[in-house]
Amino acid sequence: MKESRNGVMRFLMLSLVLILVLCVFIFSFLALFMNRKSEQTISDIGTVYMSSMSEQISLHFQTTIGLRLAQMEALIETISSQESGDEDALFDALTYNAEARGFEYLALYSYDGDFQMIDGRQVEVTDPQPFLSSMRDREEKVAVGSDEEGNKIVLLGVPAAYEMQSGETSIALVGGLPVSYISDTLCLDEEGAMVYSHIIRKDGSFVIRSVDEVGSNYFEQIRSHWDGKDVGEAEGYIRELEASMRDGREYSVVLETEEKGRQHLFCSSLPYTEWYLVSVMPYGMLDQEVSALGRQWSLVTLGCCGVILLVLLLVFGKYYDLTRKQVHALDAARHEAIQASKAKSEFFSNMSHDIRTPMNAIVGMTAIATANIDNIEQVKNCLRKISLSSKHLLGLINDVLDMSKIESGKMILNKDMISLSEVMDSMVSIVQPQIKAKKQNFNVLIHDIIREDVCCDSVRLNQVMLNLLSNAIKFTNDGGTIDLSMYQEPSPKGDAFVRMHLQVEDDGIGMAPEFLDKVFESFTREDDKRVQRIEGTGLGMAITKYIVNAMGGTIEVQSELGKGTRFHIVVDLEIAEVREVDMVLPQWKMLVVDDDEMMCKATLESLKDIGIDADWTMDGESAVEMVKKRHSLHDDYQIILLDWKLPGIDGIETAKRIRGEISDVSILLISAYDWSEIEKEAREAGVSGFIPKPLFKSTLFYGLKPFADTMEDVKEIPEEEPLQFEGRKVLLAEDNELNWEVAEELLSDLGLELDWAENGQICVDRFKQSPVGFYDAILMDLRMPVMTGLEATEVIRGLDREDADIPIIAMTADAFSEDIQRCLDCGMDAHVAKPIDIQEIARHLEHFIH
Amino acid sequence: MDLKECYAALGGDYEGVVARLGGEWLVQRFVRKFLADGSYDLLCQSLEEENYKDAFRAAHTLKGICQSLHFTQLYESSSSLCDMLRTGAWRPEIDGMVAQVEADHKKIVKAVQGLDPEVLGVTGGASRGEEGGA
Repeated sequence: MKESRNGVMRFLMLSLVLILVLCVFIFSFLALFMNRKSEQTISDIGTVYMSSMSEQISLHFQTTIGLRLAQMEALIETISSQESGDEDALFDALTYNAEARGFEYLALYSYDGDFQMIDGRQVEVTDPQPFLSSMRDREEKVAVGSDEEGNKIVLLGVPAAYEMQSGETSIALVGGLPVSYISDTLCLDEEGAMVYSHIIRKDGSFVIRSVDEVGSNYFEQIRSHWDGKDVGEAEGYIRELEASMRDGREYSVVLETEEKGRQHLFCSSLPYTEWYLVSVMPYGMLDQEVSALGRQWSLVTLGCCGVILLVLLLVFGKYYDLTRKQVHALDAARHEAIQASKAKSEFFSNMSHDIRTPMNAIVGMTAIATANIDNIEQVKNCLRKISLSSKHLLGLINDVLDMSKIESGKMILNKDMISLSEVMDSMVSIVQPQIKAKKQNFNVLIHDIIREDVCCDSVRLNQVMLNLLSNAIKFTNDGGTIDLSMYQEPSPKGDAFVRMHLQVEDDGIGMAPEFLDKVFESFTREDDKRVQRIEGTGLGMAITKYIVNAMGGTIEVQSELGKGTRFHIVVDLEIAEVREVDMVLPQWKMLVVDDDEMMCKATLESLKDIGIDADWTMDGESAVEMVKKRHSLHDDYQIILLDWKLPGIDGIETAKRIRGEISDVSILLISAYDWSEIEKEAREAGVSGFIPKPLFKSTLFYGLKPFADTMEDVKEIPEEEPLQFEGRKVLLAEDNELNWEVAEELLSDLGLELDWAENGQICVDRFKQSPVGFYDAILMDLRMPVMTGLEATEVIRGLDREDADIPIIAMTADAFSEDIQRCLDCGMDAHVAKPIDIQEIARHLEHFIH
Repeated sequence: MDLKECYAALGGDYEGVVARLGGEWLVQRFVRKFLADGSYDLLCQSLEEENYKDAFRAAHTLKGICQSLHFTQLYESSSSLCDMLRTGAWRPEIDGMVAQVEADHKKIVKAVQGLDPEVLGVTGGASRGEEGGA
């Protein structure tokens, strides 16, 4: 567990670090790449910009120079030398016209290269050779020269033949303009412009130089930028520049020097001249802008990177938190599972101990019996013990089965009509032997019973009560007292329900408070020296609680060590729709004798319900006194209900004494104990009969009714009762002939007419062949050859007959609740257990037929 | 022997059966009929043929009859056998239980055959509810 947790942590941390590194790497790469890319783009843009710039400038130069040359041509055309013979007038006209066009100098150019100034100071050409050769070839040409004062002048030469002073004929007329005119018109040196330009000759010497350049040669200028270092590099640039000038190509390069920073240099040739335009754009400012952009870009990138990392960290943190929580939850679940499995293994070890004990007894006793096979007494003794042990073993196994049913959610509650008086009766008779064996006092108290007939799973209700009672007996010492009480009150669930309280109280060893919390958990038993010798699975209470809860009830427990324990069950039961027999008896004069006041009063209540007003008293002596008194008044009691166990003289002695007073009285002994042993003695003492406790209304009614015959001639109806189904026809499916005969014998007592079907198929056939409404009901065995009862029921239910919904009652020997559920699921109306009980069948038939 | 002794010998619940069937004469009639019942033979035959499905059904029927007649011992053994046969397959403990069923059945046959013949004879005449001629 720990390791896997660490593994998860390591994985998390590793991926976090990996992602961090990746992030940093990718973003740095992006920043770097973008910086490069932007530099590249800037330089590309520079080239495009520069080339168009210089194109503009050279175009401008071309038009400006072209215009000036055209002016010169026009001058020559208007004032021709042939027109006037007057030289002065000619020169005046030329001067006038030239000045009007802005020329500051005007001269005639001889074949030898001499100037004859017409206007302005004497000039000379700085580089006369190319100019002269062009002039001789009668081309138009522009060149730079200077006047006597050293002012730089741009000279425009246009071929023209005029008479010169020397007598020669000129080859050209040359006009001069100050250099500033060119640089102004071309805006070569505008302040604040990013680009400045020079005009140079092939050898690098300046024709026109921008202000911030010094020296006379641009190449020298370039060399000086490198300041003596890396001369080779400067020379390389110069060579390239010269080569492109020679080839007339445009040249574009980015120079990087320490002194001037990065500069973009662009060079192209200018028309009409031997000049070249060199434009230079220092990148200083641009670079600043670009690097500011780059910085911003880097910052933004880093910021983004940071945000992403932060989010990642958050996500990882959250994930880590979740993982940790999950791991904790897993740990808790694991802990729980271990606890549960521990409880189960403890249970198994307890169980194996508990199972081994009776098993050992069985094995041992079998061995003893085998060894003493001829000694019948011994064998009988062994067999008795074996039988006891097996019963105990069976109980254990049943508990385990129940528990596994509960745990797998398969325990189903049946809902059948039960009579609480019957339930209590059977309960009392089941626990009697155990109570007798431990010589415990057993009190049963029933009071405020609203309805005896309710709907409930009788088997499970019995199980619950038996569990509580046998626990009480087990954990109460010999001679202790066990109280069982039952009472009812109106249910909050409505009129169709009744709330039943069941209480089992003992004065036994009790339970420790810490165990009280766990008493209803599976597989728990108080681990204590006091109880180690008492067998049990530790499942009983868990099963009990489950059943009570499944019935929709609650169970509470109060207990104190050494003082005793009280279990209190409250459950709302549905009232059964049975028409209660009108239980009314003649108005007998009766006396109830019981040492429990509650008991007396409850009995009196019940008696009142069946039409009898009775007296009561709490001990034998006073009972005898009361009998005497009534006798003297000639108003004898007719029936006396006498508790067996009374303080002072007991029931039997009391009966004897009463018999001594009067003879014409029925004395009935009431008791929660088994009276078989005292029966003889009691009869001899004059007891007329017995009524078992608890005293329900019905118990009293049926217990007292026989005396109605002897007392007064109350007509008994029960004689006719069995024949309540006179003439009713019932189809009985049962594969065994003997069983069929028994059933027929029993059921014909009810006046029923039965037809026998030997299996499901015959049953279906018979039903099909009968007229509609011929049969009133079908009694169906489940396990039959050819076709089972379940299948037959499904076929009958699927028939297209009006009476296809005929009541079908299942009869089976397997009274598991699952079987019963299956019967009901496939369409049967009710279920009776085998061997069939005539009363039960009569009850069902009455329900369905009437 | 009379019916009470007969039930004691075959390991049954005399009081229970008389109370339920409402008279000794009926019990006697059914007990005698038990000898003619084919379930036990079917059980033996099915087991012989290793047809455990039929054997289960036969055991089940036998169990039902025993329940009806309150033959407690045979009911218990046949019921156990029935549970063992429920799966429809042979299991090692079946043989032992078959022997038990056989023994219980034999006991019943012997006891019923030992019933006083005159007791068997009075069945027709006895009225219902009267606890017949023993």
